[in-house]
Amino acid sequence: MTDSMPPAELADAERFERFGLDADARVVAQTRQEFARWLQRFFALDPVRYSDLVLAINEALANAAEFAYRLADHPGTIDLRATYHPAEQKLLVDICDQGTWRTRQIDPAPRTRGRGIPLMEVLSDQVAIEASADGTLVRLEWNGINRI
Amino acid sequence: MTERWIDRVAVVSVSGVVDMLTSSQLETAINGALDQKPAAVVIDFTDVEFLASAGMGVLVAAHDRAGSEIAFSVVADGPATSRPLKLVGITEIVNMYPTLDGALADYQA
Repeated sequence: MTDSMPPAELADAERFERFGLDADARVVAQTRQEFARWLQRFFALDPVRYSDLVLAINEALANAAEFAYRLADHPGTIDLRATYHPAEQKLLVDICDQGTWRTRQIDPAPRTRGRGIPLMEVLSDQVAIEASADGTLVRLEWNGINRI
Repeated sequence: MTERWIDRVAVVSVSGVVDMLTSSQLETAINGALDQKPAAVVIDFTDVEFLASAGMGVLVAAHDRAGSEIAFSVVADGPATSRPLKLVGITEIVNMYPTLDGALADYQA
């Protein structure tokens, strides 16, 4: 994908995709709102599950926007792909960037920061973070998700 | 974001979204209240519909800044606010009340 391409958008009952998002706070907020509307439109979620999903993807997007391109000399992009698998009642959300992974700071543990990953861990049924030289992929997974 | 005083307790009420885009406004409002040396600062998240980790960090920083001189607490109740605050342990650092009346009752002994 080149810088000149507009962000690709797609949302139907099986997929919500946003490719080439600008890695900044405003786009994170807008994408979170669009993802929330997609959840409300297609899925039967209780208020806790709904809140958990929206906050978890926000934290993955926010981490990418805040940290991934810290060392880069040009603004980067984020790709989000959510896919629903009706047979397994499973929702998978992949959020990836092409930036540099920032290792979690544990010594000393920061009191005022660094709660994005702990939030993703407690708000999803499973989270996997794959960091490589090409970027970072965060995969969040929820089970027992039903359509409306 | 509004600030009002009940005796020597400053109440900062927030509505809508507290995320990486808006958390600096919250930080400014809380610091403004702390600078006036109240007995207590209560952050009222009753009307907050979305709270991200950026806002949680602001709460912890404000709690540390308040120190032992100024009582500091947050009012939150619901899946978007009190739930994540509990899940990541913010409520082990910052006192949380489900209602503003409950918080104020504690400061008016």
